[in-house]
Amino acid sequence: MKYFLRKVGFFVLTLWAVVTLNFFIPRLQPGDPAELMVQKLAGKNAQLNPAQVAAIRDMLGTPTGSLWSQYWQYLGQLAHGNFGVSYTYFPFGVMQVIGQAFWWTVILVTIVQVLSFGIGVLLGAFAAWKRNGRFDTAVTLVSTFVGTLQPFWIALLLIYGLGYGLGWFATSGGYEDSTPGFNWGFVYDAISHGFLPALTLMIVTPVGWVLGMRNTMVLNLGEDYVRLAKAKGLPDKVVALRYAARNALLPSVTGFALALGGVLGGTILVETVFDYPGLGRLMGEAVGYKDYPMLQALMLLTAVATLLANLVADLLYGVLDPRARRAQA
Amino acid sequence: MTATVTTTDRAATGGPLLSVERLSVRYEPKRHAPTEAVSDVSFEIRPGEFIGLIGESGSGKTTLGTALLRLLERPGRISAGRIVFDGTDITDLPEDDLRGMRWTEISTVFQSSMNSLNPVLRVDEQFRDVIEYHTRRRGQQVSDRIDTLFDMVLIDRRFQRSYPHELSGGMRQRINLALALAIEPRFVLLDEPTTGLDVVVQKSILDNIRRLQAELGFAVLFISHDIGTVLDLSDRILVMYGGRIVEQQRARDLLADPLHPYTKGLLGSYGDPRAETVTITYVPGRPPDLTAGYTGCAFAPRCPEAIAGCRSVEPPLLRLGEHGGEAACHVAALQRGQGERSGVGTEEVGPVVRGFAGPQFVKTAEDERSLHDREVLLSVDAVSKTYLRRRGLGTTRTEAVRDASFVLRKGAVTALVGQSGSGKSTLARMITGVESPSTGSVTFHGEQGSFAVGSRRGRSLRDYRSHVQMVFQDPYSALNPTKTLGYILSRPLANYRGLRGAEARRAVLELLETVALTPAERYIDRFGYELSGGQRQRVVIARALAVEPELIIADEPIASLDVSIRAEILELLNSLVRDRGVTILYITHDLLSARMIADDVVVLNQGRVVEQGPALEVIRNPQDDYTRLLLDAVPNPTAG
Repeated sequence: MKYFLRKVGFFVLTLWAVVTLNFFIPRLQPGDPAELMVQKLAGKNAQLNPAQVAAIRDMLGTPTGSLWSQYWQYLGQLAHGNFGVSYTYFPFGVMQVIGQAFWWTVILVTIVQVLSFGIGVLLGAFAAWKRNGRFDTAVTLVSTFVGTLQPFWIALLLIYGLGYGLGWFATSGGYEDSTPGFNWGFVYDAISHGFLPALTLMIVTPVGWVLGMRNTMVLNLGEDYVRLAKAKGLPDKVVALRYAARNALLPSVTGFALALGGVLGGTILVETVFDYPGLGRLMGEAVGYKDYPMLQALMLLTAVATLLANLVADLLYGVLDPRARRAQA
Repeated sequence: MTATVTTTDRAATGGPLLSVERLSVRYEPKRHAPTEAVSDVSFEIRPGEFIGLIGESGSGKTTLGTALLRLLERPGRISAGRIVFDGTDITDLPEDDLRGMRWTEISTVFQSSMNSLNPVLRVDEQFRDVIEYHTRRRGQQVSDRIDTLFDMVLIDRRFQRSYPHELSGGMRQRINLALALAIEPRFVLLDEPTTGLDVVVQKSILDNIRRLQAELGFAVLFISHDIGTVLDLSDRILVMYGGRIVEQQRARDLLADPLHPYTKGLLGSYGDPRAETVTITYVPGRPPDLTAGYTGCAFAPRCPEAIAGCRSVEPPLLRLGEHGGEAACHVAALQRGQGERSGVGTEEVGPVVRGFAGPQFVKTAEDERSLHDREVLLSVDAVSKTYLRRRGLGTTRTEAVRDASFVLRKGAVTALVGQSGSGKSTLARMITGVESPSTGSVTFHGEQGSFAVGSRRGRSLRDYRSHVQMVFQDPYSALNPTKTLGYILSRPLANYRGLRGAEARRAVLELLETVALTPAERYIDRFGYELSGGQRQRVVIARALAVEPELIIADEPIASLDVSIRAEILELLNSLVRDRGVTILYITHDLLSARMIADDVVVLNQGRVVEQGPALEVIRNPQDDYTRLLLDAVPNPTAG
C-alpha cells in the first residue's frame, strides 16, 4: 500500500511542476500575441493600430498585475477548467473545442493501442517461442520493414486504395450525414470514417511491441526458471505463457503505459491526413495558426496524459512484479 | 505414464535405471567451428545409486547433464549414442512422449539457486502447477504434499507464500530440492546445487541431500567441480576431462587409488588445514580447446606423468582398478601391464605414484613467521558500521560490522574469515575508503605518516588508493573484454605513476613477468577472454601491482576458480609477499586457503570479531564455536 501511496504522491508533485512550467515557459517567449493577431488580420505590412491591439488585448483578457498574482489567477482558472479563448475558433473557449475533439482521439487511440499491444505482444511471444523458425523470420523481417515506413505515407496509400479505389471507406472527416449521438446511423458513420485512420495506426504501432517482446522473451527463454519449467514436463503453453511470457511482459507493460501518454503527438500527421476531428489535428492547427491558448491547453493535456500513464505504469508494475513492490517500498 | 507400470518390473530384475551408451554431444553454431562437448561417454546408474560427476569448467559435465534431461537447445544436439532410461530409449523420444516421464521419473536441481524459481510466482504455485499436472492430487491434497516437502528440507511452511526474491540463496536451493522431489522421481540430477553458497550452508544442504536420498532411495547424478563436496556422498565417481570420462571408480577406491593423473591433481588440491604440514598441488595450464581438436590424450599437455605415447594415441577407457575401476590413461595402463590394450605397447613408465606429481604449494608449521615485531601498516580500531534503510516512514538498522579491531602488519598476510553476511566485504570497503565507519576509525600508517582513511576525499583519497589496491572475486568480469592486456595494465601506470610510451610498455612486460605470464611479449596484445580463469586472475593481480601498492585487498580471489588451479593463485600471492614485501588482506570463507597463505587470521561472525591470532594457532586450536563450524565445513576428501 505504501508503494502505491508514494507513487501517487510523486504524481501530484510532478503535476504541480508541469502546471507551473506551463505557466512560465510561454512568458519567456518573445513577441506579443495581440500584435501578432492584429498583424494577421491587417496584413503583413500594415501599420499596427494601437487601438486595435488594445481591443484585442481586452478581448483575450490580457493579464495584469504581478507575475505572482498572475500565477495564482492562472491556478484558479485551471481549477475551474478555464483555459481562455481559442484564437482560431474564436469566440469558442479552448475547453469547448478540446472537449469536442477529445473523445474522437481517445476512442480511436485506445482501441488502436490496446489492439496493437495485444497483437504485438502475442506475435512477439510466439516468434520468440519458435525462434529462428519460419514464423519468427517472417515476423521479424516484416516488422523491421514496416517499422521504417512513415504512417502518413501508409495513410495516403490506404486512402488511394481502400478509399478512392474501392470506395469502401470514407476518406476524410469524422462523420457525414448523421447526427452525433448514440444512434446506429452515427456509430456506423463514425466507424466508417475512423476505420482508415485506425488501420493506418494499426499497421505501424504493433511493430515496436513485436520486436520488443520477442527480444525480451528470447532472453527469458534462456533463464533457468524456464528451463526448469520444461524439465518439469509442463505443457508448452504453460511454459511459454506462465513462465517465459509472464516475465518478458514486464518491460513491455511499462512501455505500453508510457506510449499511451505520448500517443497524442503521434496522431498529428495521421489525423491531419484524414482530416479527422481529433486532438492531433487540433494540435497541428494550433501550431500552424499560433493559437497560444489552445497550444498551452494541449501541452498541459499531453503532459498530464504522460504523467497519468507513468503513474499507471508504476502501479501496474507493482502489481505484476512482486520484486518492484518491495525494492521501492 | 505407461512407463511407470513397466518400471517396477525392471527395477526388480536389477537392471540399470539409466544407461548412457557412447553418447556424444556436438555444438554446431552457424558462425563458429563445431565443438564436441561430450565425446563417447558411457556409464550406468542403478536404482538408488549416488553417482558423482566431477570435472572443471569446460569439461562438458553440464552439457552431459543437459543432454540426459533432454533439454539441449540448438546449436547443441546429441550427435551419437543412446540414453536409455529404465528400458525406454529417450534419445530421440518426442517431447510429447517425454513429458509424462519428466519430473515423475527424472527431475533436477539446477546450478544457480538465484534463478531457477519463477520470480513473479509465489513458491507454492510453482509446486502446485507441476503436482497438478502430473498427479491426480488437487486442492488440499496438493497443499498437504507441499507441507510435507517443506518439512523434508527443513523450511518453515510459512515461506510457501513467499516470492523467490524474499528468500535467501540457501533457502531457495532447499526449496528447489523439495521441488525436485515433489512427485517422488526415481532419478534426480543435481547440477552443482551448492555452488555459490556459503560453506556452512553448503554443508547443511549436502547433509540434507544425503539424508533424503537414504530415506527415499532415488538415484542421483551429482555434478560438481568440487570433488570434496561429493566424494563422501557418492557410491561411485565419474571424472570428466575434455568431454570424455577419464576415470570411473567406486568412491573409496578412487580416494585410495586414483588411476588418472588428473584425478590425482583434483584430489591434491585439498588438504587438512589443521595438519602440521599442508601440501596442496595444482594442475598447471588450461583445459583443452575442444574446437581446435587434439591428438592423443587431452590431458597430456598438463600431465606431469605424460609419456611419448600420450601425445599420439588416444587412451581408451580400460578396466584397471581392482574393483572394476576404469581409467583412460596410458601410464596407468602400462603400470598395470595393460599397455597393449591401451595402444602404447611397452613404453617405459615409472612406478605408480599416488599423488599428483605436478607443482605443489607447501606450508609447514615452521614457515610461520614471527610477526609481532613488525610495524603496523593499518589499524582498525573499534570500527562499527550501521546501515540505515528507509522503509516508508520507518527505518531499519543493519549492523554490518560491530566493534571490530585488528591490525595489518607490514609484509604479512592477514586472512579475514567468515561466511557471507559476516561483514567481511563491508570491512574491506571501509579499508579502501569507499565507505566510512559509523564509529571507530581505520588508520593507515604509510610512509607519509598516519591518517584516518575515512576522512579522505578527492585527491587525497586518490593518493591513498595508490597505496591500496583491490583484487576481486570474479576475474571474468573484472577485465574489459574490448581491451588488450597491455592497455589494461598501462592505465594504472599512466594514472598513478605517469608512465607512458616505451616506459609504460617496459613496466607492463615486467608486471606480466611478475605474475608469471611468460613470455610476456606473447600476452601483452591478447584479450582477457582468451585466457583461462587462473591467467585472468593473474592479470587482475598484475593490475593491482601496477601502482606498487603497499596493501592489496584480495576479496575471495580464488572462490570462482576451478579447484585444480586455486593453489596456483595462492602461490602467486605468497610469492608477492615474500619477494616484494606487499601486505595482503585476504578475505575468504575458506580456512584451508587461509592456512596456506595467511600469517594472521581474523574470524568474523555477524559483524563481530570472534577470534583472532596467528593462523596456525587459530586453525589448529580454535577457541570459538563459529571457527570450529567453519573448519568442519571445509570439504576434505582426503581426511577420509
